[in-house]
Amino acid sequence: MKKILILTILIFSSILSKAYCSPLISGISTNEINIDTKFKGAQILLFGAKGDAGNIVITVRGPKKNFFVTRKEKIVGIWYNATRLKFENSYSFFSLFSSYKGLEIDEDILNDLELTKDFLQFSNEQKYDNKTKDDFRIELIDEMERRKLYNNTADKIDFLDDTLFKIMLNFPKNIVQGVYTVELYLIKENSLISFQSIPIYVNQVGISAKISEFSRQKEIFYGLVAVVLALVVGWITNYIFMRFIGQ
Amino acid sequence: MQIYLPIAEIPVNIILVLALGLLTGFLAGMFGIGGGFLATPFLIFIGIPPAVAVSTSTNQIISASISGLLAHIRKGNVDIKMGGYLVFGGFIGSSAGVLVFKMLQKKGHIDITIAAVYVLFLGLISFAMLRDSMRVFFQEKYGFNAENKQGKVINAILKIIDKMPYRLYFPKSGVIISPIVPIILSCGIGILVALMGIGGGFLMIPAMVYLLRMPSSVVVGTSLFQIVFIASNATFLQAISNNNVDIVLASLMIFSSAIGAQIGTRTGYKVNANGMRAILATMLLGICIKMLFVLFSEPKNLFIVEILK
Repeated sequence: MKKILILTILIFSSILSKAYCSPLISGISTNEINIDTKFKGAQILLFGAKGDAGNIVITVRGPKKNFFVTRKEKIVGIWYNATRLKFENSYSFFSLFSSYKGLEIDEDILNDLELTKDFLQFSNEQKYDNKTKDDFRIELIDEMERRKLYNNTADKIDFLDDTLFKIMLNFPKNIVQGVYTVELYLIKENSLISFQSIPIYVNQVGISAKISEFSRQKEIFYGLVAVVLALVVGWITNYIFMRFIGQ
Repeated sequence: MQIYLPIAEIPVNIILVLALGLLTGFLAGMFGIGGGFLATPFLIFIGIPPAVAVSTSTNQIISASISGLLAHIRKGNVDIKMGGYLVFGGFIGSSAGVLVFKMLQKKGHIDITIAAVYVLFLGLISFAMLRDSMRVFFQEKYGFNAENKQGKVINAILKIIDKMPYRLYFPKSGVIISPIVPIILSCGIGILVALMGIGGGFLMIPAMVYLLRMPSSVVVGTSLFQIVFIASNATFLQAISNNNVDIVLASLMIFSSAIGAQIGTRTGYKVNANGMRAILATMLLGICIKMLFVLFSEPKNLFIVEILK
């Protein structure tokens, strides 16, 4: 059923794109990801059509978060957390696809659109020199790549013909919840011709999400529940043992 | 069988955690201690973030201690007046401890502090316990009596204690002492309760015997009395200010350690206490050595990346 629906949209969009010379049209298989206790990651199919001219670049960006990057240093034989940099308002998820062979685009555009890992913004207000900030930023990106949260390899886009394309968006199991955006850019001769943005909602569902929310929003009640639970269980266990097993 | 922990944000094996709770409860019941100083390092070793491990053990200590306390109350072995002063000092200490915890966590030093405090105290205690059980062993076997060198130091401290003002009579224990002493004592132990996720009984009991000069009949009950209050205070404060009490993990530990404590208490009457104490001391020494590795071995990755909530 899903496949038929996707095909229909694909064909429809391809006709549309040809009929009206609309520069860029696309859709995704779902815009909701639910994280439950058994969540192992998710895949979403993105498909679309572009006009004859230009190249497409597609990014997926996760909600902006703050980051701590800490470097361990040795002091009298003990490894302790020494230098600690805070990077603010950076993407918690980033992946990049493009129809370019290499990314032959002007740096200005790459910078404006925050394309590729070198142009992602990481702001730090602390008093460290630029070299330190750069080292820490690179470590942050490397670690995010290791966790499969950043994907900068400019993955290939599958073209079914000159205009129709599809890609598979991969979301690993450790993604954070929030609103993700898929952004499609149609770029021709170093200028942006067309732009489209599609949101994807990632939500925690189920009992563990509720407990986590409860612990943050009703801390006092949560704390009391934890204490009372321990008191009651200890008392009941003692009573049962006394009653049925004896001293 | 795995269960996802909502606050620790990792899945753990249920059977492993239950076994852990049963074991710490068992040892707690047998030796009359909270068992927290076994539970916290074990939780850290199975991959629970240290901050969550500490707060969750304080929660577990409440249930392990309450059943012992009830038994002692029934037998009339609790000095409520002395306990009251201890609880007062402990509230101040554990509240301060939670604040220190929060500050260290913010600066990123909490993991290393927990490991360092553990190495220090586990090292000291396992050493003292091993020495004690050796002494008892030699005494029983060869009638050889090792000289107690601590006597002089304790006498000097006792002289200072006796000069403290506002001395009060504690009828249950039959001692006359300034309430400042128990308040300061439990204030210090309260800080450790918050930082280590322990009840502090293994420090409080000797202090009660040697410094407060309470009779051994009321020592364990009174110690449990103050532990229940202070662990409750620490758990509550950790939950509201640091958000790191994992109630799923705590429930598993609470149930299994309450049962373990009951079995431990009953086994405790039947076995050779000295031999068991030597085994416990060796275990503590093992944990201490494992903690040393956390501090001194070179980490795989020099950089730590955290995504903030």
